[in-house]
Amino acid sequence: MAKILEGPAMKLFNKWGIPVPNYVVIMDPDRLAQLGEANKWLRESKLVVKAHEAIGGRFKLGLVKIGLNLEEAIAASREMIGAKIGTSEVRQVIVAEQLEHDEEYYVSIIGNKDGAELLLSRKGGVNIEDNWDTVRRMQIPLDENPSIERLTELAVEAGFEGEIAERVGKISSRLVLCFDNEDAQSIEINPLVIRKSDMRFAALDAVMNVDWDARFRHADWDFKPVSEIGRPFTEAEQQIMDIDSRIKGSVKFVEVPGGEVALLTAGGGASVFYADAVVARGGTIANYAEYSGDPADWAVEALTETICRLPNIRHIIVGGAIANFTDVKATFSGIINGFRESKSKGYLEGVKIWVRRGGPNEAQGLAAIRLLQEEGFDIHVYDRSMPMTDIVDMAMKS
Amino acid sequence: MSILANKDTRAVIIGGVAGVNAAKRMAQFDYLINRPLTVQAFVYPPEAGQQKEIFRGGELKNVTVYSSLTPALAEHPEINTALIYVGASRAAQAAKEALESPNIKLVSMITEGVPEKDAKRLKKLAQQHGKMLNGPSSIGVMSAGECRLGVIGGEFKNLKLCNLYKPGSFGVLTKSGGLSNEAMWLCAQNGDGITSAVAIGGDSYPGTDFVTYLEMFENDPATKAVVLVGEVGGNLEEEAAEWLAAEPRRIKLIAAIGGTCQEVLPQGMKFGHAGAKEGKKGAGSARSKMNALREAGAYVPDTFGGLSKAIKQVYEELLASGAIKPESELDEALLPELPPSVQEVMRQGEVVVEPLIRTTISDDRGEEPRYAGYAASELCSKGYGIEDVISLLWSKQLPTREESEIIKRIIMISADHGPAVSGAFGAIIGACAGIDMPQAVSAGMTMIGPRFGGAVTNAGKYFKLGVKEYPNDIPGFLSWMKKNVGPVPGIGHRVKSLKNPDQRVKYLVSYVKNETSLHTPCLDYALEVEKITTAKKDNLILNVDGTMGCILMDLGFPEHSLNGFFVLARTIGMIGHWIDQNNQNARLIRLYDYLINYAVKPERPVPDKK
Repeated sequence: MAKILEGPAMKLFNKWGIPVPNYVVIMDPDRLAQLGEANKWLRESKLVVKAHEAIGGRFKLGLVKIGLNLEEAIAASREMIGAKIGTSEVRQVIVAEQLEHDEEYYVSIIGNKDGAELLLSRKGGVNIEDNWDTVRRMQIPLDENPSIERLTELAVEAGFEGEIAERVGKISSRLVLCFDNEDAQSIEINPLVIRKSDMRFAALDAVMNVDWDARFRHADWDFKPVSEIGRPFTEAEQQIMDIDSRIKGSVKFVEVPGGEVALLTAGGGASVFYADAVVARGGTIANYAEYSGDPADWAVEALTETICRLPNIRHIIVGGAIANFTDVKATFSGIINGFRESKSKGYLEGVKIWVRRGGPNEAQGLAAIRLLQEEGFDIHVYDRSMPMTDIVDMAMKS
Repeated sequence: MSILANKDTRAVIIGGVAGVNAAKRMAQFDYLINRPLTVQAFVYPPEAGQQKEIFRGGELKNVTVYSSLTPALAEHPEINTALIYVGASRAAQAAKEALESPNIKLVSMITEGVPEKDAKRLKKLAQQHGKMLNGPSSIGVMSAGECRLGVIGGEFKNLKLCNLYKPGSFGVLTKSGGLSNEAMWLCAQNGDGITSAVAIGGDSYPGTDFVTYLEMFENDPATKAVVLVGEVGGNLEEEAAEWLAAEPRRIKLIAAIGGTCQEVLPQGMKFGHAGAKEGKKGAGSARSKMNALREAGAYVPDTFGGLSKAIKQVYEELLASGAIKPESELDEALLPELPPSVQEVMRQGEVVVEPLIRTTISDDRGEEPRYAGYAASELCSKGYGIEDVISLLWSKQLPTREESEIIKRIIMISADHGPAVSGAFGAIIGACAGIDMPQAVSAGMTMIGPRFGGAVTNAGKYFKLGVKEYPNDIPGFLSWMKKNVGPVPGIGHRVKSLKNPDQRVKYLVSYVKNETSLHTPCLDYALEVEKITTAKKDNLILNVDGTMGCILMDLGFPEHSLNGFFVLARTIGMIGHWIDQNNQNARLIRLYDYLINYAVKPERPVPDKK
């Protein structure tokens, strides 16, 4: 699952003939002045300026400005670019034509196990949730694209009439093509607007998720997926992602500010159960982390050091199921080195470490990490006979 | 009994090194339960035609790699299962071919990162053909006592610890690979082990869902209960709950669902598995799945840690109801041990292996090569030269500075002797014929023998014999030589003579005798011999081979090494000739007719063959 920003989504819409307003994405306000000289629409239309970042609630944060002329838009861009919101910084803005329109519609398409489902409503815009009963749906079976006639019928069922119904049908058909050909997982256009005077349609806002696993067959995907956690990635998260992209197997890391229990857990399935156990016992997690697929020891070491640096943590859970092929001895040697390095830098003061793991070379791996007790670590080591998440119970009771 | 994989399963693995590793793990299981090899063939075009060595216990099997599925299946009609181990960009095509092959009934994909659309298409294709598709992102399928598909179950020791050598009563269904292993362990620890365990993969659209497998377990009389490990995202667990509630079921269901922590985490946070993502308005949340399963009558502990207790409780209930008959414990000591490798056994000191060869000069098992014990880089850093390395490797001695200087000079003066001599000429003919350096230089090298450059060893040997046996009796030595050997090696030259001495010999003798303190009994003896032989004939001088042989003997080099100095020195020259000819783009040469005396019979008719 990979969410993409509005700019790249608009570009894909353009490619598939879905009408979008004129727009530019800029990093430098001066560039906007120059673009204004080259593009009539920038000089003559009302403009919208939005921070082009994965930041939730942009409107409330003042990162969306509407009804601007070019000069005001340049000023708004200047104000937004470089603005710091929490840990993130606005680096780009998207400047789009603010289309004066008569009506707002809703159209979306979401993948499901048999293909995808198309949703259509005449009552789009901010209140779509309240008007959910107006939504009409159509299941689109895998590899079968419905005819424009069939889609026009759906538009009619949703209350569209005459030429507008036909146009909505046509736009829906192109959306299906875009969805199918771009390996999308979901596309939501809200609102799709119409200016009736010249029957001009435009997708004013778009949320699109593409299947990042399919990128090998999309040479023109020049974008990167954005953070889906309502904020941009932190530097530490970015670093672990960079390592993840370079190794066999994987290492993953997401920070959860304010938590007291850090997770250094193995396996996509087990790591979630560890997080659950912490929450179920009334604890707060400081992060989500996972390593799997027998990653290199240095990658696990880097993950370990990152976790040791989390502020105010009281416990570290080195947990995992009985691995099928991840070498416990090798991955633990990365963890041991990471702990030693962190301790030498002054981290891990008063932090309790809880270990439970099984798998290839488990005896050697557990024996090696147990030796950290002799180096002054507050570490508690258990083998497979300890139920997997019981180390969390013990940590929370200690 | 089991589902999906059983004693009749025979598999082809589509993929390279990861597939071979899986086959090795699978063969360990085959050995444990004493069944024939599960993997019958590999399909991997880059290595087509090769055979992979797979150990089934101590028995070495060769499994053929094919370029495509068709010939593999033609050769092995017994194959009914395909395991996909190729990368995401090629996995869908491989799975499609397998699903379309008539003999193959089950395709299991380990590949991670398969695009969702491809996964959906494969699922549809499998349904159309009435085949089973497991995965993508599946660690595999384990049927205790019957068959292992993939690396599920981990290392050999774990297979025993999880009782996988004999069938139990619990089915296992998980999305996660690691947790499939954990769940099998829990079933062995708290119950009587598993019938089959299936990791369905953690993607959004697995090829086969929980319900299909639950139905299969329901129809497998040996399975009395199923442990299902699900997680947030999708609705496979809800479907499982619906299935359980729909009608009375023979099997009991125990379920653990991961992802309740999502309630307190940043919205949309990504977990380890692609499919682990909550939908809008809490659809697919772990909590709603747990509730649905509980309402349907499943045992659902609050945390994963609670699974042990739940399994134990169900097992005891099943024992009490008589559904499971208690079995006498199998003596695990009777199970086979994986034969260790020779290296492992040697480490434990339990076996003695007679070495095949013995070396006394060098060892590169450490961080760098050591010559007679000295690290090469340390020799360099302490100012030693190539002549010292020669001495170390040929006579295991570190020479003095004086001795090194002599060795260096011997090599310098015998490095080349122009293009006309047999060795250089041989190398030049080779270079002109366009052959590569090693072969052309060896062509020159083959010339070294009794008539060309090969007299150093014998010269040293016999002069040394003279020193020892005929110390003050040169005529006695010469007559012994005449009787037993022939001409004295190292004496005589085709063109040089007393009047026209060989400058190299002159220089060497004078250098060794005047500028070093080397004790030279052999050389002195040879010079005495020369006095007598030159009195007989002007050109019976001590030649360069003889001089070298004597000095090297005096330096303490072993007899066998002496020719080596000529071989080594002349190699430098022959390489030079090869480079020279190539730089000049020399063309193929042949002898002119006028340089040959054709002493053959005149042309005549060939008689009819009798």
